[in-house]
Amino acid sequence: MILDFQSHNLTVVEELEPGLWRITLRADDNLFSAKIMIDVKAPALDIRTATLEVTRDVFGQIPDLADVAKKLIGVRVGPGMTKIVREIVGGASGSDRIAELLLEAMEMLVNAITVPELRKATELGGTRPEVFGDESVTELNDRVIGLEMIKKLAANPRLKDSCAAFRGLD
Amino acid sequence: MKSSSMPQYSRLKTCGVQKQGPDYRVVSGVLEDELYAMQCEIRVYWPELTIESIKARMKRFTTDRCLLAEKFFSNCLGWSIDSELDGKIKKDLGRNGCRHMAALIVDCMHSLVRAELARRLKESMAGNPSLDKKEFLADFLRNNPNLGGYLKIR
Repeated sequence: MILDFQSHNLTVVEELEPGLWRITLRADDNLFSAKIMIDVKAPALDIRTATLEVTRDVFGQIPDLADVAKKLIGVRVGPGMTKIVREIVGGASGSDRIAELLLEAMEMLVNAITVPELRKATELGGTRPEVFGDESVTELNDRVIGLEMIKKLAANPRLKDSCAAFRGLD
Repeated sequence: MKSSSMPQYSRLKTCGVQKQGPDYRVVSGVLEDELYAMQCEIRVYWPELTIESIKARMKRFTTDRCLLAEKFFSNCLGWSIDSELDGKIKKDLGRNGCRHMAALIVDCMHSLVRAELARRLKESMAGNPSLDKKEFLADFLRNNPNLGGYLKIR
């Protein structure tokens, strides 16, 4: 069957210099296209520059967000960011959709920072996965984080009970 | 400003929507990043806007327990497309299962609804190239309150 709609969403995190990241999110579908770019600096993980650019808006619903982008300077990636970003970017005079994409971009920085930690955990506490059901384990998972390391990671309140991997360990 | 850095992390999510006869819409989604690879296929019975089937596969993941998530994804069978759907997906499928798969499923469900709007716009413009799009959108939202509540086009 031929598709009649596609959406594509690509987020890239670069470390421009030690402790300074650029996150670029590009979203594109038949009705909408946008590019969001933020630079975020450690140790506070606060936004130093922000660009919110909409390049396709078939229904003309999204207002110019240049002034909104300026208000993002100083917003931190971390607890409380959801409420703050929705208040600044979303609502009647802004764009809820851009707010959600921006939050996604910010979350991807957290993922990026987590990758080295997970890599270390896989090296220190890695194991060959157990098999759970049909076609579940493939060559893509030659080494995963094992139970003992999972329990250590689950001590982090941010991870505890956050998903199937970190639930029911008590 | 042009960057000279190599990417440290990237995530791609892509969704494709098909109309299968008058009553069914199908979406397939793929997520790939440094940590995860996932895919899902969801079929929705359109007259009632309910999820009729889902196949969600965790292809690449980080821990020995990630696959435990797969048993929760069928919890969404029978759920309707309405303003509550994103919350249910994130809470039930995400927190009990996998939040990365939940993010992909949310994208897929939004794509289904946006596809419906795009399809109807295209059909309407074929008969009326000078169609007022804002008026068309207002009509769509008025006539499809459940879809309108979920669309988040702005």
